[in-house]
Amino acid sequence: MAELKSPDTRRCRYFFLYDGSKVRGEGDPTRDGICYFYPEETPMDKQDLLCGQLAGVGRCVSELSSSAVRILRLRRCKFAIRMKDDFFWALGCSMEVPTVSVCELLDHLIDLFCFYNGSVRQSYQLNSKETLAAEWARYLSHVLSGPSELHYILQSVRTLDLTNVDPLLLLKAALILQACQRCPLVLAGCVLFRGRVVSTQMPPQLTIKVMVHESETYAKTQRSSGRSTPTSDGGPVSATAVFLTPSELQYLQSAPVDKISSSHSAPEKDAPPKKTRLSRTLSDIPSSESTPSRPASCQSLQRASFSPHTSSSEDSVFSPAPSQGSSADSPNPSPLSPIRRFSYGGNAHEAEGGTPDSLHSGGGGVSQMPSERDGSAFEESLHLSRGAASEMTDCGNAAFRDEKTPAGEGGVCCLKPRGHKAEMRQPPSGSCSFDSLEESPLVSMALYVHRVNSLVLALLVEPCFMGDSASMEEVNHSSLASLNGLEAHLRAISPAAPGAAGPYLFAHYDSVQSTLTTNVSGRPGGASEYLFVRATSLLHSHFFDTETLQEAIIRSAGTAVYGTRSVAQETYFQQHGGSMRNSGIPNQQDSAFSLPSKARHRLLKHGVNLL
Amino acid sequence: MKCLLIASESAEVLFHWSDREYRQNIQEKYGVSQEEGEGLPAFEDILSTLFAPIIISCSTLEDSYTSFTTENNHIYVLHQFDECLYIAVNGDGEEKEDDLRRKLYVLKKMVEVMFGMVTLSGNLLRKELRPQDTEQRARLWNYLQSLLETYSLLRENDQSFLVEAVERLIHPQLCELCIEFLERRLVQQLNSSVERAGEEVLHAFVLVHTKLLAFYSSRNASILSPSDLLALIVMAQNMYPSNVDLDDMSPEVSNGLTLFFGLLEKAGRGETPVFEFVDPEIQMAEDSLHTLEINPPDPASPRRVFLEVSHKDGLYPMMPHSMYCLSLWPGITLVLLTKISSSALAISVYKYLEDFDKLEKRLHEGHGAPASARSPLNMQDIRSKMDKFIKSLEPHDLQYAQLQNVWAEFKSRAFSRAGSGFNKDLIPWCKNMKTQLCGIYRQCFLTGSLSADVTHRLSAGLQERAQAMVREKLVDWKDFLLVKSKRNITMVSYPFLFLNDFPGLVHFICVDRATGQMIAPSLNITERTTSELGKGPVANYIKNKVWALVRTTRRYLQKGYSTVTLRDGDFYFCYFLWFENETGYKLQPVDIPVLADDSPPIGMLAYDYYKLLRYYSKNHKGENVKCYELLTVHLGVIPTEIILQHCRQLASKLWEPSRNPLL
Repeated sequence: MAELKSPDTRRCRYFFLYDGSKVRGEGDPTRDGICYFYPEETPMDKQDLLCGQLAGVGRCVSELSSSAVRILRLRRCKFAIRMKDDFFWALGCSMEVPTVSVCELLDHLIDLFCFYNGSVRQSYQLNSKETLAAEWARYLSHVLSGPSELHYILQSVRTLDLTNVDPLLLLKAALILQACQRCPLVLAGCVLFRGRVVSTQMPPQLTIKVMVHESETYAKTQRSSGRSTPTSDGGPVSATAVFLTPSELQYLQSAPVDKISSSHSAPEKDAPPKKTRLSRTLSDIPSSESTPSRPASCQSLQRASFSPHTSSSEDSVFSPAPSQGSSADSPNPSPLSPIRRFSYGGNAHEAEGGTPDSLHSGGGGVSQMPSERDGSAFEESLHLSRGAASEMTDCGNAAFRDEKTPAGEGGVCCLKPRGHKAEMRQPPSGSCSFDSLEESPLVSMALYVHRVNSLVLALLVEPCFMGDSASMEEVNHSSLASLNGLEAHLRAISPAAPGAAGPYLFAHYDSVQSTLTTNVSGRPGGASEYLFVRATSLLHSHFFDTETLQEAIIRSAGTAVYGTRSVAQETYFQQHGGSMRNSGIPNQQDSAFSLPSKARHRLLKHGVNLL
Repeated sequence: MKCLLIASESAEVLFHWSDREYRQNIQEKYGVSQEEGEGLPAFEDILSTLFAPIIISCSTLEDSYTSFTTENNHIYVLHQFDECLYIAVNGDGEEKEDDLRRKLYVLKKMVEVMFGMVTLSGNLLRKELRPQDTEQRARLWNYLQSLLETYSLLRENDQSFLVEAVERLIHPQLCELCIEFLERRLVQQLNSSVERAGEEVLHAFVLVHTKLLAFYSSRNASILSPSDLLALIVMAQNMYPSNVDLDDMSPEVSNGLTLFFGLLEKAGRGETPVFEFVDPEIQMAEDSLHTLEINPPDPASPRRVFLEVSHKDGLYPMMPHSMYCLSLWPGITLVLLTKISSSALAISVYKYLEDFDKLEKRLHEGHGAPASARSPLNMQDIRSKMDKFIKSLEPHDLQYAQLQNVWAEFKSRAFSRAGSGFNKDLIPWCKNMKTQLCGIYRQCFLTGSLSADVTHRLSAGLQERAQAMVREKLVDWKDFLLVKSKRNITMVSYPFLFLNDFPGLVHFICVDRATGQMIAPSLNITERTTSELGKGPVANYIKNKVWALVRTTRRYLQKGYSTVTLRDGDFYFCYFLWFENETGYKLQPVDIPVLADDSPPIGMLAYDYYKLLRYYSKNHKGENVKCYELLTVHLGVIPTEIILQHCRQLASKLWEPSRNPLL
């Protein structure tokens, strides 16, 4: 426990996942239950102690109160706890992070894991601890990589600095997304540039999840000497399996007008009626009644989407980034190959639907366009795997991955080149055992990613999309040229010069879109920044606790901070300098009380309207 | 769903209190885990079994637990005081984490007031809190339980216990008259009587419910700290509960009390109120709760209390006093605090305890023997003094013999050539000496000396005479005082003032932290009395807002913010804390220390936080710093400038008698 005592500047001190089902008997060592522990270099004894004690006390308190423990505080560290079945998660942060934020961080971590891996219990049945430890590490590092401490307190989507971008470009991005959505298999999408959101159709929480995948590949391509060439693991088009919660799915499938306020989705007039029907069916997933209607609808959709793609004249848009100078790096940009590959993937699905083990034999299959029969066969497989979502997508992945080996020249490939997929291909033992935290089954979907240099189009699509070359082609066709154009424009924008912040600090959080605008740099040092962040964290917890609170001014001897919030936003403001001439007694001339009007004026130029 | 318990490191329950819902809840839990229904064991044993994993884990983990929160918002707060682990639980949402922590600290304070320096020895305190004799244990626990309940009631309903400062009755002439009477007549007469049996009245005060009418301290008495005074008011309230103003409490509270007194009546008639899930022993405990200690066996016997005393040469905590609580009329009480004849002994014991504590710390750090004779810890000096001290004790019992033996052993180890000298081997003997000293203290001031020893207290006749004197003096004022205590300052009594000078002001509380006193308009929240805030619900709403505001501002104060303004719903709240020197000059604000979440609660009852603050704000040594707090509630439609102007006026006027518009 020595580390708990040392003055640790890291905000997150501990994170662990402990599986109580592994430690049942008296003799079972605690470490058998430790699935993942951060920091990984922590001595085993200390890991044992922390996991054993916290999980034990957590269970005891839960039994006493007939309810799971949510927060557990030590004197120098506070833990957000999640208990589900026999799993015990704990995220320990320093005392200065607001409790509500620690809980949000932990939930976010677990959600991320489930988004990319599906149910936790099943993941651990199918994969080794080590493999999944790498997954946790990956999500943790992403969650902890916020540019400033404010990002721990206010979980937010990182967006482009919108004051710096021509609104027409944003409109263009939104139009690209709408164009993609015309394909009924596409649920929603977002456009990202250099790890920041340009435009999104998804709710903020989902956007953040999608960005994890993207920002990792972005970082990877950055690392590989900044070459914009599509490499084997960062090809222009890729796909990965993801899992949505039913509520997320429902949100995505609801008619755009029902979605709250998202300006991007509002003007989408041409959402096909078929899509609504599809969504209605899909949103009913847990009920078995909807089953008969689904194949037909999906089939008809597929049929509809095939027609434009039968002409090969449009296939050229599928060739990897023809408008980029990098085409030389892809030696054989055969226009047909992506289609072939996808149809091949479709075959694999079909094979998988029948006998899972026949996947490899399917690997030598013929290249043929998916027929209607293929589609329905795939649908069957979808039904079969509804009980075991991971099975289906994994076989999908496997199929893509198999494809990757001969390809090499950025065709379609899977972005999850993980060894453990091999294990996952085995039919899951209890195919109906879903134990996501929400107590409802996760729905398997695919994340389709199209990269143009630093610009990324990420789409959440029905799993059958990846086996449906016509739809793929349609999407690619409708977006590629625009993406290239958008990328060129965005690249031309010089990043705003930092430092010209002004004699004040502010943070503006849009709680509907989960965006944070701030001039807090996040650079270490800076006493006033530290004070500002501390005050913000206090005020944020207060706003969270007290629904009726609208605004607050708090002042210590050295600083005064003003905070205000409405249903849609929270704003914090602190003025630099101007020594606080006061004695603490009430005084109208006190500079602290002029903060609200100053904030109103100063923040206008940051696009924050407090009037 | 409330519970509070003190446990030893071995998970033995040293004290517990819980409400009926929690008891039922726990017994059901335990009943489920029991295989065969052989009848439930004693409640304390069930608690011990169920809480054992938590208690044991606490001592396993170096960085101990401070709180748990579950998804259904049950809150557990834990705090380790020396060797005792205090745990408070709330499952009904009525208390927040800091309320529970405050309750733990208040209980700790009450235990200190009751047991004094015995609390410094874990071993002795364990025995004291959990007597072997079950009847004695039930009596003690019932007393502590009722103290806790009284405190909770006050904390929920009385503004002075909300902000933890004493409220005075605002009637300058009457107060002055009364103080003069206490000084010239009462205390003088008592202290010159032969029937006082060596006791000397140091402080005398008259309480009207919880409000102070008059307070007098004799010339050679040290100042009674606000913390102790508040604790004594809780004890007095516990002894003579203000059941007369049942109608002035919120409906739930009065219901609770009606039930309470209903039970009392039943118990008095020899009937046994029957609860479900209650085993006989708890039943016994519950019954005795209402009968045993409310009427102490001998009404003339004082209660031993241990209070802080400041002498010329320093501050001595937990010095023994006797407290006489004499009811004048229901709601009006006279309290006398006397110095007992042997109190010099307590000072010596405290000094030696300090010395051995210092020595132990030095040995722990490996410093060995204090090198020079000039060092603050002069062992030779202590040795000779200790020898004298032991000789001065009356060699009449076991405790004395034990101390002598341990001291002899200590000397032979520390000072003789054959002994090991001053090194780590001596640490257990330091501890042992401390235990023995606490034992002597316990022997002299706690056991047997109270009810048995009739000779060492103010005689019953003298007490009666004192009671009669004050009664006679106040009889004409009695009814006025009882009404005044409920409507000390009401906004309605100053309609012109508040409407003209302070339009939009709804409520305020002003506290002088140097004297530990507060001024606030009364909040009447009953259906019967209509205040300017309207009838019950509105006033109740305001009350809840004020309570929440105090909690909020304490949270900010804990983190170093001394000014807070909040716009919350239709109201605008302000909080200011500032310092002045004795001449009223406003001092520059200082950086207030930022405290940890589990630091002692901000207030004055359990721990005087403002003493620390005043110390911080000193510019010069020896300077006396005053500290003030002002809380206001305004209607939200009032412009901020006007609100600040009001605050300024209140801040400058309230504490200057000549300008105070309320006086």
